[in-house]
Amino acid sequence: MTSLSNAIVIQNIGMVFGSGVSAVTALEDVSLEIGSNEFFTLLGPSGCGKTTLLRLIAGFEQPSTGSISLYGQHLEGLMPFERPVNTVFQSYALFPHMSVAQNIAFGLEMQRKPKLEVQKIVADMLELVRLTGFEARKPAQLSGGQQQRVALARALANRPKVLLLDESLSALDAKLRKEMQLELKRLQLETGITFVFVTHDQEEALTMSDRIAVMKNGKLEQIGTPTEIYDFPRSRYVADFIGETNFLTGIAEANGLRLSDSQLLEVTLFRPLNSSVDVAVRPERAQISRDGAGLNAVVREVVYVGTDTVVYLEIAKEVFRVRMQNHGGAAKIVSTGEQVKLVIPPDAVRILEAES
Amino acid sequence: MKRDRLLGRYALISPAAILIFVFMLLPMLLMALMSWLEAGQFGGVKWGLYTPEAYLKFLFDRDLSDNLVFNTDYLSIFSRSFQLAGITTFLTLLVAFPVAFYIALQTPKHRTWLMLLITIPFWTNLLVRTYAWILLLRNGGLIDSSLHSLGIINSPINLMYTPIAVQIGLVYAFLPFMVLPIYTSLEKLDWRLLEAAYDLYANRWQTMRRIVIPLAAPGMVAGCILVFVPALGTFFIPELLGGAKTLMIGNLIQQQFGVSRNWPFGAALSFALLAVVLIFMLVYALRFRGKGSLTS
Repeated sequence: MTSLSNAIVIQNIGMVFGSGVSAVTALEDVSLEIGSNEFFTLLGPSGCGKTTLLRLIAGFEQPSTGSISLYGQHLEGLMPFERPVNTVFQSYALFPHMSVAQNIAFGLEMQRKPKLEVQKIVADMLELVRLTGFEARKPAQLSGGQQQRVALARALANRPKVLLLDESLSALDAKLRKEMQLELKRLQLETGITFVFVTHDQEEALTMSDRIAVMKNGKLEQIGTPTEIYDFPRSRYVADFIGETNFLTGIAEANGLRLSDSQLLEVTLFRPLNSSVDVAVRPERAQISRDGAGLNAVVREVVYVGTDTVVYLEIAKEVFRVRMQNHGGAAKIVSTGEQVKLVIPPDAVRILEAES
Repeated sequence: MKRDRLLGRYALISPAAILIFVFMLLPMLLMALMSWLEAGQFGGVKWGLYTPEAYLKFLFDRDLSDNLVFNTDYLSIFSRSFQLAGITTFLTLLVAFPVAFYIALQTPKHRTWLMLLITIPFWTNLLVRTYAWILLLRNGGLIDSSLHSLGIINSPINLMYTPIAVQIGLVYAFLPFMVLPIYTSLEKLDWRLLEAAYDLYANRWQTMRRIVIPLAAPGMVAGCILVFVPALGTFFIPELLGGAKTLMIGNLIQQQFGVSRNWPFGAALSFALLAVVLIFMLVYALRFRGKGSLTS
């Protein structure tokens, strides 16, 4: 992202709702930079502050501390209608008394664009979101997916420098959601607008984002590309939140990690000897063999899930999942109760930071 | 079996239907009949003689040679009533909208309390509250004496028995009827729509004009009807605050059944009023037809 200029620079943002004993800290010292034309995702469970951060950029809330600038312009004190950003709301917030076309034209009319230009943009937008022919409908006469696309068109019609999307896909059913994820990515590439997307769905975040910021309790936990976040989670929290993960806890030794059942996982830890260390291993990176080197484990369950077979092992009194791809028919290599060897390649082991 | 169900349905609606028939339709029919009869000498009507005299009296007078002469006395009372009721509607709308908007913005607990405050005047009879206005408005009353002692005026204010006094009384009496329906429609308003409007470059005023007011329109229209129609027919407010100079239709009708003893004319006036109100409602219904989705 170094070749791109920064669209949004967020510096030391803090946000406290209420005061005195009832004060709630929503954001704490958040700093990040979002590049121009980037699809940036704020990811975290509900209450982690991601929506608050989005509302601060939109101007619906004023930060308690810190500053936000947009292409070098400080946003402090600017009302939402004075900011060159537009939002696609979680609830869509379409104006119920206006037709689809009137909804899309609203922002343009407020900016006093000439009538002919407005008409042309509305037609273009309807085509972009594939809703040509729906201009006279009222929002209540549309399906959820169509409403979502109108909300998107209404925001995009203004050609904002930055588009903010607040859990915009969460109200859709799974199939439509998949379609819209690809559609959003297509729109972002076509329009070249910076997208800031808020979601609690890690799969959605991995599918669409150029970069992801994982948030926890009002703080940034990790920022990186989907691959970085998935392959190199910094903490147990990130590893757990994104995808499936196995955790192993043990004591650091010179040539590996000593598990609680005194088996040794061979890996270079870069940690002080005798300190307690957490490591994470993705289920698809581990293997099972009947003989040879490896850690001793017992098969507890074998689950066939279509594309893969997931084997639940017990090792050091913990459950450890191994995911194996099926190549026509189930990979029936092991059966429940069997003693097997668990092979974890050293480069599949992710050493996690101690929890704060 | 189908017949039984139908019977059951009739049985269920019959109490309401009988109530409406006995207490609304029947008196209306009686009034309609009465308006086409001749007045009795000591009130009441003479049965059997049908004449349009009562309706003619509204627009015409009979001169000495029994010719019809156009007479605008009653029309001017009608137009004054419409004017007063119209201004009342406008002023209550002007005051009630911000009040309702303010209440709708409060937390649910606060809203309940504020709505209770709005309805508190209903706990006292309106007649008594109108008498209280006399104490405020009359010369030497609270308004007059405080303006005097502040040195703003030095002659009596002479507010009582003027159209202004009636206007004040009407606005006071009907204000809650405007606040309640507007509040009801604003309470249902999705405030996220306001954020969406802000986000789409609409400033406060544009958001108000393009989003809030159109969505509150059903409540505003309901409030206007609830204020305009009863204000038009009110009689004791002009009676108490307006004296003999500021007659309204209500007073005129009341006089016909009282001192003037002309029941047919009173009935005819009532129907003339009803006709005008119905025309207003019809125009409204036609204008807003198909926009019913606004309320849902």
